[in-house]
Amino acid sequence: MIELAMVPVFLPLATFGVLAVLWPLRHSGMPAAWLSVASALASCVAAILAWTGAPVAGEPAQGMVFDWLVHDGKTIAEVGFRLDAISAPMLVVVTFVAACVQVYSLGYMAHEPRPALGRYFAWHSLFIVAMSGMVLAPNMLQFLACWELVGLCSYLLIGFYWDKPSAGRAAVKAVWVTRFADIGLMSGVVLLYVTTGGFAFEMTGDSGAATLVAALLFCGVMGKSAQVPLHVWLPDAMEGPTPVSALLHAATMVAAGVFLVVRAWPIFEAAPPVLTAMTWIGAVTALVAACTALVQHDIKKVLAYSTCSQLGYMVAALGTGSFFGGYFHLTTHAFFKALLFLAAGSVIHAVGTNDLREMGGLAKKTKLTAGLFILGALALAGVPPLSGFFSKDLVLEELLHAHAYGPLLICLAAAGLTAFYMTRVVCMAFLGPASARSLEAHESPPVMLLPMGALALTAAVAGFTTGRFGNDVALAPWHFAVTAPGVAALLLALGGIALAYMKYGQGKLAGLGVPALAAFIRSGPVDGLFVRGWQQGLRPLAGVVGWVDRYVVDGAVNLFGWAALVGSERMRVLQSGKLRDATYLLVMGALVVVAWGAIGGVR
Amino acid sequence: MNGPPLEAWLALSAALFAVGLFGVLTRKNLVAILLGVELMANAANLNMVALGHFRGTPFGQAAALFSIALTVAEVVVGLAIVVLLARTHKSVDADAPSEMQG
Amino acid sequence: MTAWILFVLVAFGTLVSAVMVVRTADLVRAVLWLAASLVATAGLYALLDAGFLAAMQLLLYTGGIITLMLFAVMLVRRGPEAPTAGLIANPGRALTASLAVFGLVAFTVAEAGLPTEPGAGGSPSAKLLGQVLLGPLALPFEALSVLLLAAMVGAIALARRKDPEE
Repeated sequence: MIELAMVPVFLPLATFGVLAVLWPLRHSGMPAAWLSVASALASCVAAILAWTGAPVAGEPAQGMVFDWLVHDGKTIAEVGFRLDAISAPMLVVVTFVAACVQVYSLGYMAHEPRPALGRYFAWHSLFIVAMSGMVLAPNMLQFLACWELVGLCSYLLIGFYWDKPSAGRAAVKAVWVTRFADIGLMSGVVLLYVTTGGFAFEMTGDSGAATLVAALLFCGVMGKSAQVPLHVWLPDAMEGPTPVSALLHAATMVAAGVFLVVRAWPIFEAAPPVLTAMTWIGAVTALVAACTALVQHDIKKVLAYSTCSQLGYMVAALGTGSFFGGYFHLTTHAFFKALLFLAAGSVIHAVGTNDLREMGGLAKKTKLTAGLFILGALALAGVPPLSGFFSKDLVLEELLHAHAYGPLLICLAAAGLTAFYMTRVVCMAFLGPASARSLEAHESPPVMLLPMGALALTAAVAGFTTGRFGNDVALAPWHFAVTAPGVAALLLALGGIALAYMKYGQGKLAGLGVPALAAFIRSGPVDGLFVRGWQQGLRPLAGVVGWVDRYVVDGAVNLFGWAALVGSERMRVLQSGKLRDATYLLVMGALVVVAWGAIGGVR
Repeated sequence: MNGPPLEAWLALSAALFAVGLFGVLTRKNLVAILLGVELMANAANLNMVALGHFRGTPFGQAAALFSIALTVAEVVVGLAIVVLLARTHKSVDADAPSEMQG
Repeated sequence: MTAWILFVLVAFGTLVSAVMVVRTADLVRAVLWLAASLVATAGLYALLDAGFLAAMQLLLYTGGIITLMLFAVMLVRRGPEAPTAGLIANPGRALTASLAVFGLVAFTVAEAGLPTEPGAGGSPSAKLLGQVLLGPLALPFEALSVLLLAAMVGAIALARRKDPEE
């Protein structure tokens, strides 16, 4: 079974290698795409098969590792693959969504120039390699390496459109923010090594060290999984192609932070203060992001902030001391959010714009897309029997069980808002009178609709896999009861849907809302804070440091040069070429030497 | 006392040497510089003879004799150079040949 | 007593002549003052009982070198000199150097323990001098003649006018 688990790493790696080296193949366009899609599908099949034979909770992990860092005969770190109850499901999720996205891309990206297409699929393959390598990592060091590689793929794919300067800026911004967060992450890894002598996902020693390590690791999580305030890169990442947004910035990469916490659970378990902080940070993120999603005009930005909000749910759930809720919500969210993004891509493909205000009445023209989108929206809102209901219910139950009442209430509010803003999108895009653009819209080709359908299926039924999941990770019975928080969330969601439908679908309740606040939120206040911090804090500091570097450090070095130059200019006067001056110097020199000898000798 | 002590002779020769040096350093005419050199050589000779006299050795005078001969040779070559310089630079100013400047 | 008086007189003459050599503006007068100084030096040699040397001084120095100098002066006729310039813009520096040299020598002499009386044997006679020159100092003596030859040849080579095609 472990051999099957290695397929998602090696097969796409071979694909990437081939596409990178054989540029005629890469420039050929569709053949390159088919190669990549084939390897993605094969990886998905292999991952599913590996999952069926993977160990369940309590059984030892299957692994294949090789010594990597050896010091004094002792192995400090290994590289390889570890298949267990935690990594197997995640591998399935990653490869499945990746395969769907790649098939979808065959249609969505078909009009791209051929070399660009090859480039696109090559990087997609690399992403699968990196993500699989991270999921199957046996220790923190390989995990970190693959984490950075995933970040690289994100950069490459966000900045895919080389003719859009905003895309380049967004890619760099993503790297900046996650890099900044990774300072904490890497410090945490180093500290882990210092305190435990290795990079394994466990913690020995006192809880103080564990708390510090967990806190530092969580810094990295905040960046990668877009928790407030390090979430600012995620909306900008929408500059990339929509399939990329679906795969990386909804389903898999942003979930890597959540997965880190699950993977390194022994470390986090030993750090209760960090867990408490996580519930609050996650809850606040959920609410703030949901509010921001409420006022966006760009359909992809709504989904981006929605992703951010759901990531907040996952983090809050993890903070309760049980990782199952967060992990389960990760998987269901991957399915329905990827579906939503692909459907949004289908909409954009149909009308040629991202702006919701230019859409309307698309339900008539693009029935399938509309239906799939609405299904995804309902899953996200948490309507049973779709999977979103089960996972959100689980999250709220865990919060209640952990007596985290504050975060619980915040998350409930966010649930209502989630339903509201998704209904808003549905109304603005699909219902109501058709706009000028909508009249010319056309349905997407099957190659795009089929993956969406597959994802819709999983989004619908994944909620019922908790049984298998439960066997995997040994859950307590109270996880499966439908309790008060779940019901409350459902009621709030239905209320949100109703309100939004009344306002945006039927045009009543026009006075609901605060336009000034909406405009303020749209202006990106958190970004503004960062910019102000840079302008007023870092830049003057950098100026001072730069001044020191230029005038003190360089000055010291230049001093030698300057001294040599000036000294030689002064000395040059002596070389007048005149006989008498030379004679004078000769005499004085001889005088000095003789005097030295005479006086020294006499004494 | 018989005569001036050795120190007096040496002081005299030192004074003559100093005067010659002053001339070498001060004069602008090349020939005049050579005259200063002559004075210095002369003072050195006096020094050697005086020391030889007071130490009772003939080598003082012998050395002075050699020195005189050498000085003659030196003057000959030096004047030849002066003539050459005068021809090429059209001047016997000591500051005229300044190709080695810088 | 007389030795002292004579010494002071001749020494004074030597010094005054030397000073005049370096201070007159006219080149010919400077050469003549040099001649005077050299003749006075011959007198000093005589006071040191170095008769042979005094004669040689007169012959070679005043006879030979002064003649050479006068010829050179004639070859490079120039008027009175311009004031000094350059690194030694004023004679101050030269004066410092000269005084420093004098001081150094004086200091060294004062610190060394030197005999104050004429040594035994006094100044050698011409006979003794000849014996020394042709005895222990025979090699330098012969070499000296070679040196003089070389100087002559060198001077001629330096100063002759080149043919146009060279």
